[in-house]
Amino acid sequence: MAESEEEVDVLVQRVVKDITNAFKRNPNIDEIGVIPCPEARCNRSPIVLVENKLGVESWCVKFLLPYVHNKLLLYRQRKHWLDREALVDITCTLLLLNPDFTTAWNVRKELLQCGVLNPEKDLYLGQLALTKFPKSPETWIHRRWVLQQILDQFLAVSHNKTQEQQGEAEQPNADSSRQLSDHLTRTLHQEMRVCSDAACRYPSNYNAWSHRIWVLQHMAKGNGKVFHDELSSTRLWVSMHVSDHSGFHYRQFLLKELITEHYQTSASATINGSSQHWSSTLPSSGPHQHSCSQTNGELSGAEAANEDDRQLSFTTVLQLFQQEIELCSDLIQSFPGHETLWSHRRHVFYLLNQWRREHQCSSRGDNNSIHLNDCDPGMSEVSPQSYAGREESVNGQNHASEPMELDRVSLPNPHDSKRLKRGVLLPGTPTLTSEHSFVNSILDSCCNPEQRRFAVAYKKWLDTVTGLQS
Amino acid sequence: QGTQVKDVIIKPDAPSSLLLDKHGDYIAAYGSKKDDYEYTLSEYLRMSGIYWGLTVMDLMSQLPRMNRQEIIDFIKACQHDCGGISASIGHDPHLLYTLSAVQILCLYDSVDALDVDRVVEYVKGLQQEDGSFAGDKWEIDTRFSFCAVATLALLGKMDTINVDKAVEFVLSCMNFDGGFGCRPGSESHAGQIYCCTGFLSLTGQLHQLNADLLGWWLCERQLPSGGLNGRPEKLPDVCYSWWVLASLKIIGRIHWIDKAKLRTFILACQDEETGGFADRPGDMLQVDPFHTLFGVAGLSLLGDEQIKAVNPVLCMPEDVLQRIGLQPDLLS
Repeated sequence: MAESEEEVDVLVQRVVKDITNAFKRNPNIDEIGVIPCPEARCNRSPIVLVENKLGVESWCVKFLLPYVHNKLLLYRQRKHWLDREALVDITCTLLLLNPDFTTAWNVRKELLQCGVLNPEKDLYLGQLALTKFPKSPETWIHRRWVLQQILDQFLAVSHNKTQEQQGEAEQPNADSSRQLSDHLTRTLHQEMRVCSDAACRYPSNYNAWSHRIWVLQHMAKGNGKVFHDELSSTRLWVSMHVSDHSGFHYRQFLLKELITEHYQTSASATINGSSQHWSSTLPSSGPHQHSCSQTNGELSGAEAANEDDRQLSFTTVLQLFQQEIELCSDLIQSFPGHETLWSHRRHVFYLLNQWRREHQCSSRGDNNSIHLNDCDPGMSEVSPQSYAGREESVNGQNHASEPMELDRVSLPNPHDSKRLKRGVLLPGTPTLTSEHSFVNSILDSCCNPEQRRFAVAYKKWLDTVTGLQS
Repeated sequence: QGTQVKDVIIKPDAPSSLLLDKHGDYIAAYGSKKDDYEYTLSEYLRMSGIYWGLTVMDLMSQLPRMNRQEIIDFIKACQHDCGGISASIGHDPHLLYTLSAVQILCLYDSVDALDVDRVVEYVKGLQQEDGSFAGDKWEIDTRFSFCAVATLALLGKMDTINVDKAVEFVLSCMNFDGGFGCRPGSESHAGQIYCCTGFLSLTGQLHQLNADLLGWWLCERQLPSGGLNGRPEKLPDVCYSWWVLASLKIIGRIHWIDKAKLRTFILACQDEETGGFADRPGDMLQVDPFHTLFGVAGLSLLGDEQIKAVNPVLCMPEDVLQRIGLQPDLLS
């Protein structure tokens, strides 16, 4: 066993080299781990490479980590010089053992910025670290920084190409543009895979799913197809992980983006045309705003012409909601007593409500008094009764539950036929009434106490939160 | 028909009385017995670790057992030229550890150990155009909005940042359920909710919350065992006894929780042999200073008179904040 300082030095340098060489020998390593092994075997390296798995024997970790850790810090304090290659190797070893060591990731940021390191290397290193540490906040944080660097590079390159080839034929520009956008698409799909793997490794992995959202917000803006595909591809996954609140929240995010996307895209499709695709690659570090700013009820020429487009969109949106509620109902019935599923139902129904409300606003041009006065169902308007069975009044008023506007179908309204055409009142679309029916059917048929508890809570939620928007 | 709710079962022989002396011994000895490997692993957050340890000692009226001068010297060695403070010597500066350092120095009434102006410049420099705050390089998270205003509030320098824009960003992270995530569009999470309600308290904007809605979401975190989780279908964890409870206290709805059951849960997280609190009751308790602080702080919020009063916004003893003259808003 290595005991003296020199022996530790020699041992550690050898181990770091062994790790580096393992990656050179096998560029397809896809998982890391520690092999329980209390004692060193004579002269054999603690680094084990089997198929695509890289293992470190546990006996050496307690020497290895403090040594490389302190070495890096001495470098950072300018007390000890390390050349670039050594920095790459040492940070790689460190981060495979302790990926929350922020400073090590920062050293790699600097190496990346001066061109010593390829960003893809850090994406790969991060991916490996996540196989053992699927939540590691610093790994996800560094990953976003790297992706932003890649996005910025692409933007710079594409901008330069556009300027260079201003006077030339269209063709070369289109080719290189396509190559760049293909690369971006591949990067995006790789991120989806990394997130999915991490989500499988740790239940309700907040960091993995919020990263997944970040990637779509920054790399797929306005690209409806990606959102549709994600909705399809995660459907099976969430059905097999009915406790995974983050997984279901991701679908809520996708739905919200799709309904915003559908609503805006059709009206502006003829204006933006092919530039639509590039808008999806524009990086943005700011918050992604959801607004219905284009729908202030003014009918422009373009909007009038796109009436049919929007009609199709509306039906599609309603279908999306219908499918999601159906999925939710199936799962609630198949897997009684899962709070996540009821929480998902609240979200989806709320989104549907909000969308219908905004949709009603945009069809204004009339003075129909049953329409909402305030188009923006902002959070500040909602003031439900308190939960926990207390009958406290809120703001001095007693809020009795009211049925929603949409249920008053029978009121004479010259715009009813228009609304019907837009599929707002499509049969099968979830309404407050149908939701209450669903809850009652659960309560009538089920004896799982937790299921009953969640059903009752949902009922209460329906009455207080949604019934009050007027 | 068995219950599927993710929860723990508290055994009848679980600890049911508060073992303050044991916890004091645990914290006082923490670090001295740690072997190189484990201590090295957590060095990247050392400054926060020290804040957790000192704060819980102060809440238990045992702060004098800690080495004040050594810690102040350590903090001085962690302030970088840019003004920011790192988790440990040689590590890179970060807003998280800048806050922890300022909190520690407030406990010791030694804020002058720092170049305060530079700290302020560092924090100010992290604010983005949309009002959000980066942690160091670029990552945006509502946690950092909280760190920024908490740091500045403790130093009495909140007017140096664009508070309105900061508020605008945090509010843009409010979700339909009344909760908050790390960025706009992110899932509501009790830890982020604590940071955002704390932020809104410090900036005098609690009225922007929907207290009933948020309170509802928060009290739904309580499980049959009495413990609190951070999101639906997660296991209870004693640190959520802080994030959730403090948030409820700030928005004036702490009575929506079953206090007695929560107290039972927290006490069951103690390790009678080693001292300290683990994340949840069980056979293989793994205690650490993080869970120890939040267990004790949670008990304080619940009204345990053996513990000093803790401020729900800053997680520091109330008497320290009184000395500074900082009394963040609370809803009633």
